[in-house]
Amino acid sequence: MNLWLLAANSIAFGGLLFLLSAGFALIFGLMRIPNLTHGSLFMLGAYFGVSLISWGVGFWLAALAGGVGVAVLGGLIERLLLRRLPGAELAQVLVTLGLSFMIADACLMQWGGDPISIETPAALRGASRVAGVAFPTYRLGVIVIAVAFAVVLWAMLERTRLGAMIRAGVDDPMMARAVGIRVPLLFTLVFCLGSGLAGFAGVIGGPILSVYPGLDQDMLPLALVVVILGGSGSLVGAFVGSFVVGVLYNFGQALLPELAYVVLFLPMLVVLVVRPAGLFGRSSP
Amino acid sequence: MANEALRLADVDAFYGDSHVLHGVSFICGEGRLVGLLGRNGAGKTTSINVVMGLLRPRRGSVAVYGTPVAGRPPEAIAAQGVALVPQGRRIFRSLTVRENLAVAARKASGDRQKPWTLERVFDTFPRLAERRKQYASTLSGGEQQMLAIGRALMSNPRVLLMDEPSEGLAPQIVAEVMATIRRLKEEGLSILLVEQNAKLAFDVADDIVILNSGRVVVDAPAAALVRDKVDLHQHLGIY
Repeated sequence: MNLWLLAANSIAFGGLLFLLSAGFALIFGLMRIPNLTHGSLFMLGAYFGVSLISWGVGFWLAALAGGVGVAVLGGLIERLLLRRLPGAELAQVLVTLGLSFMIADACLMQWGGDPISIETPAALRGASRVAGVAFPTYRLGVIVIAVAFAVVLWAMLERTRLGAMIRAGVDDPMMARAVGIRVPLLFTLVFCLGSGLAGFAGVIGGPILSVYPGLDQDMLPLALVVVILGGSGSLVGAFVGSFVVGVLYNFGQALLPELAYVVLFLPMLVVLVVRPAGLFGRSSP
Repeated sequence: MANEALRLADVDAFYGDSHVLHGVSFICGEGRLVGLLGRNGAGKTTSINVVMGLLRPRRGSVAVYGTPVAGRPPEAIAAQGVALVPQGRRIFRSLTVRENLAVAARKASGDRQKPWTLERVFDTFPRLAERRKQYASTLSGGEQQMLAIGRALMSNPRVLLMDEPSEGLAPQIVAEVMATIRRLKEEGLSILLVEQNAKLAFDVADDIVILNSGRVVVDAPAAALVRDKVDLHQHLGIY
């Protein structure tokens, strides 16, 4: 096994995980909603992409449209269901878990049980040489996309008035409302954004992972580990956590395949016990 | 009734099963400063929370310039021109000083003479201007209080609710805060001021409302209470 290639693949997978987890981290951090449909939204985005591409839509447009479609669905889930369960974490867990099963069933009915691969967009096929080593071009592209999204999301959150309002809502939701910030609207917006990112990631991940029943339950634990490692509500945490998990997951599978999940979840347990807020999380709720 | 900035009528409020306000009624006239006094647990902060929409009253009405607001969400009440300087300041810790002010900005309603803007808040509180890029959590207690007041003013309120703005501050800072309150009153802002320190409240208030166990027991002009040497110790304890 070429270690360098393994490392590079880990980073690409980390980029994909960031697209998946950033939304999960924002939703969990701002709204304290453990959204267990997040993996389903990822899978649903991928299936949307499959259908769009089969109708002749280009890959990138399909990825965007898949993201938008899933964002709308996420907004509906927030407005119609989760909005009615404020602060009831157990109910939120059960509702989102139930929804994830329903989405899985619906996908099975609509798209069948066979894995469907999404073709790599033509421009990014083949390999590129980076520092003298051949590396799949598409995976490089995923890294670039993830970094670009990280920068844009970070700037939106840290450098705009909208982002400041979201952070104010995280700090003290009731006080934020008292200064006139429409926190419920922001919550819906964040939920749409987070869901849309997951859907977009699903299509982007298609050429690497393909789409299959169970993809949702494969991805959700990864997002959970990323957010617990990095700290909920922290984009920087989600970013670093994604690459850490990308490395652990890929190296674990390659070097200790029998113990891949131990390699993945053991660090999570340690972080939970030693530093419950995560590596970059806020210590106070 | 246009000269009534704020009216509470027969308000009952609960925290869970605990009945905190019993038929509370009082008025804050336009441009007046009402000092809301009472012992700990008398219902002062609860009254403020009811006005701001942070606690929904079970009975009774709250009106801002005649518009009923009881039961509406806080952001809607803020849009009616109510702003809050809360107990414990509750500044947004992970926002910079400038961001704390910017997120609360709202255009002045009507043709206000001197609307509050970022620049004007910084002119009023030069210490905040110096620290505009710092995170609010790094400010001293006095600076945080200035920020909480500035943040409330950024919404260009018609009614300002202040919950113990002197709490936990050094005497010199308290004097500064009280001077600010006086200036705001002179500009015509209607203010509801909750104070533990009755002397401070009597120094600035036009009217005094005293709560005891969630009921209004005194509602009178401050000057009249002073002139008649009304004994308030039974309601306030000894200061």
